[in-house]
Amino acid sequence: MNLIIKIAWRNIMRHRGKSLVIGVILFVGALLMTVGNGVISGMDQGMQENIINGFTGDIVLVPEKQESDEVFIDMMGKTIEQINDFKKIDSVLKTIPELRAWVPIGKNGAMVLNEEGGSPGFTYLIGVDFKRYRKVFPNTMKAVEGKLLSPGEAGVLVPTGARKQMFEVSNIWFVPEGCEADTSQMFPEAKAMWQNLLAKDNIVFMGMGADNTSTDIRAGVKGIVKYNALNQLWGNFALVDIESYRTCQGYISAQDRATLVLSDDEKQLLDGDETDLDNLFSIDAGETVVNSEHHNDLDQPGEDAIVSGKEQNQTDLDVGTYNLVLVRLENHSNLDAKVSIVNKHLKAAGTGVRAVTWKKAIGTIGSMAVLIRMALIMFVGFLFFVAIIIIVNTLSMAALERTSEIGMMRAVGARKGFISTMFFGETALLSFFFGGLGIIAGYLIVKMLAICKFTSENDMVQLLYGGDLFHPFLSGWDIIISIILLSIVTLIAVIYPMLVARSITPLDAIARE
Amino acid sequence: MDIIDIKGLKKNYALGSTTVHALRGVDLTIAKGDFMSIIGPSGSGKTTLLNVIGCIDNATEGSVKVSGREITKLNDREITSMRLHHIGFIFQTFNLIPVLDTLENVEFPLLLMRKLSKQDIRKRAEKLIEEVGLREYIKHRPAELSGGQRQRVAIARALVTNPDIVLADEPTANLDSVTGEQILNLMKEMNRIENTTFIFSTHDANVLKYARSVVKIRDGLIVKEA
Repeated sequence: MNLIIKIAWRNIMRHRGKSLVIGVILFVGALLMTVGNGVISGMDQGMQENIINGFTGDIVLVPEKQESDEVFIDMMGKTIEQINDFKKIDSVLKTIPELRAWVPIGKNGAMVLNEEGGSPGFTYLIGVDFKRYRKVFPNTMKAVEGKLLSPGEAGVLVPTGARKQMFEVSNIWFVPEGCEADTSQMFPEAKAMWQNLLAKDNIVFMGMGADNTSTDIRAGVKGIVKYNALNQLWGNFALVDIESYRTCQGYISAQDRATLVLSDDEKQLLDGDETDLDNLFSIDAGETVVNSEHHNDLDQPGEDAIVSGKEQNQTDLDVGTYNLVLVRLENHSNLDAKVSIVNKHLKAAGTGVRAVTWKKAIGTIGSMAVLIRMALIMFVGFLFFVAIIIIVNTLSMAALERTSEIGMMRAVGARKGFISTMFFGETALLSFFFGGLGIIAGYLIVKMLAICKFTSENDMVQLLYGGDLFHPFLSGWDIIISIILLSIVTLIAVIYPMLVARSITPLDAIARE
Repeated sequence: MDIIDIKGLKKNYALGSTTVHALRGVDLTIAKGDFMSIIGPSGSGKTTLLNVIGCIDNATEGSVKVSGREITKLNDREITSMRLHHIGFIFQTFNLIPVLDTLENVEFPLLLMRKLSKQDIRKRAEKLIEEVGLREYIKHRPAELSGGQRQRVAIARALVTNPDIVLADEPTANLDSVTGEQILNLMKEMNRIENTTFIFSTHDANVLKYARSVVKIRDGLIVKEA
């Protein structure tokens, strides 16, 4: 082996020009691959952290009746099933130590009605108790116009993305209550027609429930918000107070529960499967009693729980309907195992919900990094394909130029295997040296980029960054993948020249002389 | 004892649409320890005969036994092993590995054999380098040596494995007369010291005086043995 390495190394040095051409190709390929992997890993991690910390949490509890786990952006527009007994879920979650915090939310689509007779728009509504939501997802957004929702306040927060979308459909420019339209926040198309723009400070939503029991609601716009990270991704979700949301979707609100106290059978009937029509027409079904005395059972309102002029507190809100529960963990590791644990608890208690990972819940968007990584691999793959062709050509020419030398080696007793190994050794040494340099240089560039801490408020750039901060990094796997890819390139590039060299006979050498 | 036994050897080449009959039925026996010259004009089949004996080219027809072994039926691996263990080569020009120095070039076949220890390989190579008179050039690469010095290195390398036969195809063709004589003297000396069979081709009549036996070949047939 020493002999082969010695011959390989000296041949590299002897044919410096060719070696340098191959080396530079390998260096550039390895460099681009390493930096690309670093950028994508940073984006992937940034997206994960920003999505988990800002929007979905680590685990999402979805109703068992829900067919698809992809509950946030469903292209088919399917509605999310109801969770009618959050209190039971809440008590189960409290027994699982791995969980840090959770918040129930309503999430479904709603039509944005145009009272001027134009086309209606569409938006996703997220119904939340804003105070509780902010405890689980603090500092995720800022009001660029108006203000955020006060605890218990009814109204809607419209993200910039949703406002843009609504404008494009209905030509209505929504502004927060009591605010003038801020032209600095307008995108060019809106600014161009500013004089004729219809500005409104409230929105009429019509829920899009599967059972057509939704109601129109008029929600005051309290603020135009921008998410601190991934606004482009999450900016189409309008946040509305949970009670307004429930009314809009035709769900039972906490207020309904407070005024309508049912027997257990009636409650079961109300919460039960709508397809179980037999129950609706049973003898007991006619015995619904409104027990007004139970109004007294309501907890006394908290000081900051005012919804539409009516006072409420946390306990009240939890008796109403939700769609999802967003759960955050103490740490993000072993997510699948933790989901299994949560599922065991939920199933044992018969909560009617299942836990899914945030990635499943968010669907293809969560795999954006994977898609971009695939694009990078294709780009680097193309680069390496070109590199392979150049290397194959250069090495094959080198093999033919060395016919005399190789033929003589064969004449004095070198086997074909020796010639193959010698050729492979030369390419492997080049690959190791220049490819290794490329990986090291790529690693240093990634480190330097990370130190620079580039930030951006541009939505598209944020998608690329995976958040507002560009923080590329390389994991051990990234480097291992780079080494594996480089090895594969070396192997592929050397096969044909090796075959050419192996086929050289002593007679070829004599014939050449 | 015969080290080489050739019977009815024919070798044909395809040259475009025609067939060249390089050897037309050669019968030849060579005794161990001989110092034989094969002479003949260009194109007579000298090199082809050497190539077939040296397992570099294969026969179209006939039998060739080297060291008692029929070489016409061997596969590539066996042929390579035959070349490594039983045959040494001295070529006209393409002689040495350019990236290895004198010592490493001489050691090369022994390293391929993997039979001796590093120390023994070194000792054997150094002994032969000394015998061919290149002790002070031991660390020189081929590009730093003259033509005669390169052929000396080639002789040392050909002998380093203690082969049964050393084949030299016009070893003096590219050398001046003085150097050519030196090389032939050295080969003869090595033939005496190592008792290795030397077979060399030439078309130089002056070289004949060094040969113990001479085979004359013309148009692919042996016309005279002496």
